[in-house]
Amino acid sequence: MSPGPAAALLGAAAVAALLSERLLSVAAIAVVLLGVCLHGPKDRRALYLWGTFVAGFWVAVLTPLLAAEGSHYLWEGPTVPVLGPLGLTAEELEAGLLSALRLVAVGLAFAAYALLLDHDRLVQAAGFARRSALAVALATRLVPTLERDGRGLLEALHGRGVEVRGVADHARLLSPLLAGSLERGLNLAEAMEARGYGRSGATRAPAIRGRLDRPAVVAAAALVLAGALWL
Amino acid sequence: MALATVERVSFAYPDSEPALRDVSFSLEPGEAVLVLGPSGSGKSTLLRALAALVPHFHGGRFSGRVDVLGRDTRLTRPAELADTVATLFQDPEDQVVMARVEHEVAFGLENLGVAPQEIRPRALAALRAVGAGGLAARPTYELSSGELQRVCFAAALALRPRLLLLDEPTSQLDPNGAAALVGHALEAGAAVFVTEHRAERLLDAVDRILFVEDGRILLDADPQRARAWLARERPAWVAEPTPLPEPALDEVVVSVEDASFAYGGRTVVDRPSLEVRRGEIVALTGPNGSGKTTLAKLAAGLLEPAGGAVRRFGRAAYLSQDPGRYLTRDRADEEVALGIGGDLERGHRWLAAVGLGGLQHRHPRDLSSGERERLALASVLAVEPDLLVLDEPTRGVDPQRKAELAELLRAAAPKRATLLVTHDETFAAATAHRSVAIGGSSRDPNASNSLLLASRGAGSAGDD
Repeated sequence: MSPGPAAALLGAAAVAALLSERLLSVAAIAVVLLGVCLHGPKDRRALYLWGTFVAGFWVAVLTPLLAAEGSHYLWEGPTVPVLGPLGLTAEELEAGLLSALRLVAVGLAFAAYALLLDHDRLVQAAGFARRSALAVALATRLVPTLERDGRGLLEALHGRGVEVRGVADHARLLSPLLAGSLERGLNLAEAMEARGYGRSGATRAPAIRGRLDRPAVVAAAALVLAGALWL
Repeated sequence: MALATVERVSFAYPDSEPALRDVSFSLEPGEAVLVLGPSGSGKSTLLRALAALVPHFHGGRFSGRVDVLGRDTRLTRPAELADTVATLFQDPEDQVVMARVEHEVAFGLENLGVAPQEIRPRALAALRAVGAGGLAARPTYELSSGELQRVCFAAALALRPRLLLLDEPTSQLDPNGAAALVGHALEAGAAVFVTEHRAERLLDAVDRILFVEDGRILLDADPQRARAWLARERPAWVAEPTPLPEPALDEVVVSVEDASFAYGGRTVVDRPSLEVRRGEIVALTGPNGSGKTTLAKLAAGLLEPAGGAVRRFGRAAYLSQDPGRYLTRDRADEEVALGIGGDLERGHRWLAAVGLGGLQHRHPRDLSSGERERLALASVLAVEPDLLVLDEPTRGVDPQRKAELAELLRAAAPKRATLLVTHDETFAAATAHRSVAIGGSSRDPNASNSLLLASRGAGSAGDD
C-alpha cells in the first residue's frame, strides 16, 4: 500500500480511538494496531511498544486514583489531607482503562507510522504540504536517533568503567541527550541549507504509485472512523 | 576570471574570538586546493565562508568580501549558491535528510529544480560514480559511517557543482575508500577545496596548498614549495614514521579465540583469534565494514561473543569512535574525572597530557571537533586500564597532536596492553608494534574474517 493512504488509515484509527466512548471498540483498534506494529523490524519496535505500554499502564493506574466520579464503590479508603477522600469506583476504573487504551491506540498508530511507512514517499506525496511532511518525517526520526545516542552514551560510560544504575543515573543522561539532538538538528539544518533547501522553483522526483487507489483507501479510512463511532 | 575570491575576510562566531583574520586568496576554475592546519585553526570556517554559511547561517561578525562566480556571499544565501557550490561536511550522520539512499541523493537535485525525469538517473549515476550504486535502495539508517560518507559525497557530486568543498572527507574511510573518494573528487571537473588531516595522499595530487593557523593563512604555495615549507616549519605534517623498537612483552592481557558475533542474523565477526600482551600496542586495521569495531568491543567486554571465547585479565577501557559520547558533564575536567571517582586533580593532569590544559572549565560542547576527540581520549586514558582499546582515536586530530598522542601511548605502553583500531596508516605505523589486518573486501559480505586475519610488523601497514 502507498504510504499516503496507509498514513490516512492509521490517522483514522487513532482519531476513532480518541472519539469512541466504548471500551471494546478502543480495545479492538489497539489490538489491530498492535498486530500491525508486530510486522515492524524486531530490533526497532521494542522501544515504541515499551514506551506506549508503560505510558498506558501509568494512565490506567493513576486516573482512577485522581478522578472523582461515579457512585459504585469498589473500595473506600481514608480521607487524605489535601487530596480528600480516597476511593475507587467502577466508573473511575472504566474511565482509567478507556484513557489508557486510547493512549495505547494512538501510541501504536504512531509506532506503525514510524516503523512501517516509507517517509520519503510520504514527503513526495505531500503535495503543497511538502515542508510540513518533511518536518514530521525528520521529527519522527528523533525517537530512534535518541535511542541510538542513548545506547552510545551508556556504552561509552561502561567503556570507562562507569556503571549507570537506577532512575536518577539514567535521568542525568537526558540533558546531554537533548543537547546532542539540538546540536544534530543545527548541523542538519546547515547541511540542508547548503543543499539548496528553501530555494524557489524546487521540483520533485516522479513518485512510484501504490497498488491501491487513493479513493479506495480514503473510503476505508472513513469506514474505520464511522465503524468505531457506531460500535 | 577567478571562480571565487576571498578578500580580507575576518570573521568571529557569536561571543567568540576571531576564527578568520584578514584572509585573502582566490580559486581558479578546476583548481584543487588542499587546506592544512591544526584543529580549530579556522579551516572549516573558511569552507563555510565559501558556501555563504558564514555569516548567513552562523551569524557573528563578518568583514571583507567573498565572491563566488561574481556573487557576493553577503548578499546571496547559501541555498541560492547551491547550484554552484556543494559541501561535504565532516560528520555524515548529521547531513542525512531522507530515509533512503536514492532519495537522499535526489534531495539536492529537487531543491535545485532539476527536471523530474532527470533526477533519478542523475542520482543513480552519482552513486555509481562513487562505488555506492548497490546502496541505492538501502535505508540510510542501516548504513555504516563509511557508507554514509560515500552517499553524502554522491549527493554533492550529483549537483554538478563548479566548486566542491570537502571538510575532512575521508575521516571515516579505509585507505582504499579514501583514495577512491579523493580520486573521484579530483576528476569531477569542479574546483576542489579540501581540508584533510591525513594529507599524504593529497599533497602531490592538488594544485595548491594553504596552511591555516590561528585564523590566518601562513602558506599559499604549490606542492613542491609547500612540502619544503612544511618540512622546515611544521615537520609533523610530512614526517615519516620511524620504526619502533621491539617491545618487552609481558603476560597476555586479552585473548580472543575463535570469537563470533552477529547483528540481527548478519555475522560481523567470524572466528578470528587475537592475543594482546602487556607492553605491546597492536593496530587492528581493515576495510570499512570488516568488523574491527565489533572485535574491539568484544575484546573490551562491551559485547559478549556468540561463539568462541574472550579472556581478559585486568581492567579494560574502550574509546568509542564517536567523541560526541563523551559530552555528558558541564565541564571538561568533570567529564574526564567521571571514570576516576570524580578526582578533578587527576582529571586536570590528563587534560594537560592530551593538550587541553587550561580548558578544564570549558563546557565540552564548546570544544572543536579535534578538541572533543582529545577530551574523549583523556576520559578513557584517565582510567589507566590494563587493556586500552581505542577505536579511531585520530578522527579530526591534526598531525602534530597525532604525533604527541603516539608518543603518549608509546610511553605508557609497558604498563598495559593497547589495541588500536584505525584507518590511519601513518598513525598505526608510528604507534603500533605490530599490525593485524581483519576482513577482506567490504564489497564481499561473505568474506570470512577468520581466513583473512593476518599479522605483521606495523612498518608494513601501508603496503595494502
